[in-house]
Amino acid sequence: MNKITSKKDLASWLDGLMKDKVLIAPAFVDNQSVFKHVANVAEITFDFKNTALSVKEWFFPATEPLFTIHQKDGDTTLEPIDIENEFVLFGIRPCDAKGLKLLDKVFLGAPTDTVYAERRDKTTLVGLSCLEPSPQCFCNSMGTAPNNADDVDIMLTEVVDGYIVEAVTDKGKALLSVAKLSNSKLSVPKIKCPTELQVKNVPEAMKSCFEDDYWARIADRCIHCNICAYVCPVCHCFDIRDYPTSEKTERIRCWDSCQSPGFTCAAGGHTPRPTKASRLRQRFYHKLLYFPERFEDFQCTGCGRCVALCPVNIDIREIITDVPKLGEKSATKA
Amino acid sequence: MMDKNIVKQIRDKAKELLSNGTIKCVLGYETGTDGMNARPAFIYEPEDVDRLIFDNTCTHNLSTYLRDKRENPVAIVVKPCDARAINVLLGERQIEREKVFIIGIVCQEVVQVSWGELSHDAQMRCKICNQHTPVIYDFLIGGPVDESAPKAEPPANVTAMEGKSSGDKVDFWSGQFSKCVRCYACRAVCMGCYCTVCFVDMLDPEWVGIKIATPENQMWNTIRAFHLSGRCIGCGECARVCPVNIPLDLLNMKMEKEVGEHFEFVSGLSSEEPAPLASFLKDESLGIGE
Amino acid sequence: MPVDFQPKIIGFLCNWCSYAGADMAGTSRITYPSNIRIIRVPCSGRIDPLFIAKCFTEGADGVFIAGCHPGDCHYIEGNYYARRRFALMGDLIEYLGIEKERYQVRWVSASEGKKFSQIISAFTDKLAALGPRIKG
Repeated sequence: MNKITSKKDLASWLDGLMKDKVLIAPAFVDNQSVFKHVANVAEITFDFKNTALSVKEWFFPATEPLFTIHQKDGDTTLEPIDIENEFVLFGIRPCDAKGLKLLDKVFLGAPTDTVYAERRDKTTLVGLSCLEPSPQCFCNSMGTAPNNADDVDIMLTEVVDGYIVEAVTDKGKALLSVAKLSNSKLSVPKIKCPTELQVKNVPEAMKSCFEDDYWARIADRCIHCNICAYVCPVCHCFDIRDYPTSEKTERIRCWDSCQSPGFTCAAGGHTPRPTKASRLRQRFYHKLLYFPERFEDFQCTGCGRCVALCPVNIDIREIITDVPKLGEKSATKA
Repeated sequence: MMDKNIVKQIRDKAKELLSNGTIKCVLGYETGTDGMNARPAFIYEPEDVDRLIFDNTCTHNLSTYLRDKRENPVAIVVKPCDARAINVLLGERQIEREKVFIIGIVCQEVVQVSWGELSHDAQMRCKICNQHTPVIYDFLIGGPVDESAPKAEPPANVTAMEGKSSGDKVDFWSGQFSKCVRCYACRAVCMGCYCTVCFVDMLDPEWVGIKIATPENQMWNTIRAFHLSGRCIGCGECARVCPVNIPLDLLNMKMEKEVGEHFEFVSGLSSEEPAPLASFLKDESLGIGE
Repeated sequence: MPVDFQPKIIGFLCNWCSYAGADMAGTSRITYPSNIRIIRVPCSGRIDPLFIAKCFTEGADGVFIAGCHPGDCHYIEGNYYARRRFALMGDLIEYLGIEKERYQVRWVSASEGKKFSQIISAFTDKLAALGPRIKG
């Protein structure tokens, strides 16, 4: 027996939550759906597939101070960052939620990133399952699914005039204690993405095609921007720099991308990845071999953002399909 | 919508050039993974020329790849706007004329391109274009076209922006630049952005820095627009690739309008005309100074 | 806007003409408001539009640029290039919503000390009336 809530009751529940928590929800800005602070339930859009930027910016912001350094009278003190509010992140899709679980492996492993940890702790994730995946989606192939509730605190699935509500974690149950729910015989439909890929053999195949000129051929059209890394829910490279003023110094962390030409540039000017081919190859090796070797999961949730937003159509699905064939080719050569 | 005749001519020419060893690579277009929109194609072998297509989704300005490929002779498929870009690169001595075989296409229009969607709406640059035949080519496909259309007026959206109050302009641009994530796709896709060390990446002196925030984003985008003044050929790719829909072409079109009015200059019509910011007339006043 | 708002003006003066002109105002004991912070450059042609953008981003309420009269540039041609550059930069910053009154380019010779002080006084008054560039 599932629980459901009506659209009207959902709206008043969200309204109530805003009294003591900050609500982050999808809204339409300039013809695009984006996740933003909303002050009013009327701002929320329920009619979106997925946003261009993933939700990672709410836990791993594009720019954030890590701490502030104060120096006075010969004394140096570090002032940590205070996350004052509690948050509800509403409307997160299963691919993005899986992305957060993968980021947890990086940021919550020792040494723990305390600011990320506090943001994760203070946020309740209210997921919205996908009834109509987009043509670029392939999350089924990457260990999650359009209605997978494993990685959120509460999962909502839209039905006629309302939503099926699943309380997944204790955090979710606590938030639902004030929601108006009733019983229903409706069940959550099983939805599949349009593309199905075989990824199991990819890591092994990658071990034998590192020197293949396949990567140079793909990189021919790469323009080495940062779009794929920035829109990806799991990419997490960053840069750190101190910004002093006359009163204090802030240590600032910002997004960075391994595709950027200067990414591996060291003092003195040497860079181990000077070519587009070496940088592009690194991206796919990290996602499909190195990350799985370390964390036993691919560094990709199948959200398809990079597929839809790459200006020159470099498509990870194409690479996942091509790599095992390259592996075979080099095996027969040997 | 593909014109089979144009496609056949491109493929035949590519096969001829690759087979006789005149060139090492053909920069053209092929169908992307959505089965609808084109993407850049690099053809190295004569047997691969059947990958080449040409239709109204061929939005990319392939001249941006010419500097990467300048060691060996290449052939490039260009629309009229892209051909102007080649003139700019030639004028700036970034590529050698003898190493580029230009396959020019007489173009009708390019539609809005977005992966997974097939559009029928023409791009803004096509609506104001009055140059349907490439100004430079070695082999021309298509045409002739009646170019008696009047000189293009400044785009309506530029004029509308100029008419706004200072306060409204500030609100508009800060709203747009607050969205910027500094992915630098606008820079990466632009044929005119090729500095070995871009000003935005300089750390000493640090003009912009690494912070992704509205004031820094504004500096990045406005100085990039300035650095392209008199060089931008209006392909609009910067606006297309922006993942957060900032109307960057609104900035570049304004600069080209001012360059046109102050210096009577249109970029890319010739590779020998001196660039407006690298030249001067002793007696011009430009409303500055007195 | 506070009643005693003091605009911050950054001025780029070329060494040979306009800086000398400002110097002459000083040696002649002609007063002008001290809101302007002067940066001496070898030639107005050295001034990069980046400087102007950086000034406004960092909180300048006005930017003033001065160079030799066209034809009198110490380096012969520097100010001709500068003239084109500053014309375009003015169009761009106005398009972004920075009032064009906040940006002034003038030719000032080494002997025009009085003219320099008059220009700066008028510019400062105008900016004081306009208020801070970055509101709030």
